[in-house]
Amino acid sequence: MQRALLGAVLVAIVAAASGTFMVFRGLSFMASGVAHAALGGTALGLFLQDTGLVPWFDPILGALLFSVLVAVFTGYAGESGIAQKMEVAVGVSFALSMSLAVFLMYYIPPYRVPQIWGYLIGDILLLNDMDIILLGATTALLAAITLMFNKEFVYVSVDMEGSEAHGMNAKLYHYMLLIVSALAIALATKAVGAILVYAVLVAPAAASNEIMKSVRGVILAVFLIAVGSEFFGIAVSFVVHVSPSAVAGILAGLSYLVALQIKRIRERVDVDLSLLASPQPNAETVLEESVEHSPAHHSH
Amino acid sequence: MDVPSVRGNEVMVLRSPPLLSAENLAVRYPNGEIALRNVTFDIDAPSFMAIIGPNGSGKSTLVRTALGLIKPTYGRLSVMGYDSVKEHGKIRKMVRYVPQSEHIGLTVPMKVKDIVLMGRLLKKMPPRFATNRDRERAHEALKQVDMDGLWNRPFPELSGGQRQRVLVARALASEGSLLILDEPLAGTDVASQDLIVEVLGTYHRENDVSIIMVTHDLNPIHRYVKDVLLLKNTVVGIGEPCSVMDSELMKKVYGPTAYIVEYAGHKYCMTRDSGVDRHN
Repeated sequence: MQRALLGAVLVAIVAAASGTFMVFRGLSFMASGVAHAALGGTALGLFLQDTGLVPWFDPILGALLFSVLVAVFTGYAGESGIAQKMEVAVGVSFALSMSLAVFLMYYIPPYRVPQIWGYLIGDILLLNDMDIILLGATTALLAAITLMFNKEFVYVSVDMEGSEAHGMNAKLYHYMLLIVSALAIALATKAVGAILVYAVLVAPAAASNEIMKSVRGVILAVFLIAVGSEFFGIAVSFVVHVSPSAVAGILAGLSYLVALQIKRIRERVDVDLSLLASPQPNAETVLEESVEHSPAHHSH
Repeated sequence: MDVPSVRGNEVMVLRSPPLLSAENLAVRYPNGEIALRNVTFDIDAPSFMAIIGPNGSGKSTLVRTALGLIKPTYGRLSVMGYDSVKEHGKIRKMVRYVPQSEHIGLTVPMKVKDIVLMGRLLKKMPPRFATNRDRERAHEALKQVDMDGLWNRPFPELSGGQRQRVLVARALASEGSLLILDEPLAGTDVASQDLIVEVLGTYHRENDVSIIMVTHDLNPIHRYVKDVLLLKNTVVGIGEPCSVMDSELMKKVYGPTAYIVEYAGHKYCMTRDSGVDRHN
């Protein structure tokens, strides 16, 4: 139980740090891309271990390796700062590593195949100490790097070319952001499962970006939405027989719908206010003008 | 080109390396098409220069090459004596650059102040904290472009013209002896255009800086700039604004409908797009 709560907080930190910047960079698809690429890596690890080619190659190493490869590939496609190209790179590596996973499944003993799929189906209530240590260490690294270089990450997202021209090593930060995020996403997926990672990495960041007006505000809001829906999910799962990840995912997804609605209402209020504010003085001046002009007209 | 300076600063002009110096430069677009070929010219520093030409004439490619963001296919280009390939670090240290405003991402909720401070903070080492002096300079720069009231406004919510002004303020607030602005007048109305050009002209006069400005229209700027480089994938003309305002040159760059009119002592270039010749 303590592990579950700790895991929830860690995943929320991952969401706040990397989910936010993924959405800033138009890469909301990256979480699922990395998770599935890691699946290919897991399959490769199992294959190498089982055939005795590289016995020390743990499947988790394969998962991490593949997620880093996706990040590098995506980063390379997006060196010019164009988000669509990166999204395409994510899609391609997603397909490529899934194909590799299925390809290798034919050469892995059938009893180990579920272990590949098991990569996607972690459960926050079944975290072991190793999961917590690995996830904790990566989250700490991600958080430290994001705290230290958040300005650079923002600058790379806003104006890659300008940052580089001012003498900043934009490419370094571009890759750093993608690689550290990919590592954290891969480990979080292994620990708490794909559904929860998708849910808290994309929707809260998208929701916060609709309504918050500063980078810091977005990061904080993502953390609160993510941790809130996770805790609620865990709490509900103790009362009713449901998956905590599913409840958290539904809540996080709803947060985006709510945010869209809040934004729409806010815009409507703004329009209403400006409609209310401007016509009245206008009407008065028009009235005054017509009053002023009317004697002149009479005199003609 | 070798017009002797009449301002009495010949010695300085002679000593300082040229602002831009291109030797037989050829550059390709990323898709392999040739953007620039046979480009050879020199522009003395300090200058307020404009790079003029229609869309696709290689203007942005030239400044991006100067910044070392693209490598030349052939020839060389140097900025203040520094080679754009081998010494781009030194060039970038003195440059304040504003890319085309459509290259500025609007998905990040940056405030106007964050954008302006960015110009200064990019010149620092991480963690790039903003000091009071940074904020002061940012306020001053925003006042110069008449945008100080929008300090706390989200940048993505501004109009196109307002964004351009804020980006110009980013360059003004920063430090470095060379300002490079790519299409700072795109998407602006006449009032904003005049304001931006005037602010840049004043800034050039009052500070020891050179300014390179990419734009496709010479008219709003020709009273302020010192040198003009007319580009259509190669150098079509170079010199003072008035000497470049020549109907033959303009026809080469903008096509046969271009012609020059003189009004109130100034020359203006008219094309079919200007909407003026529709009435004759």
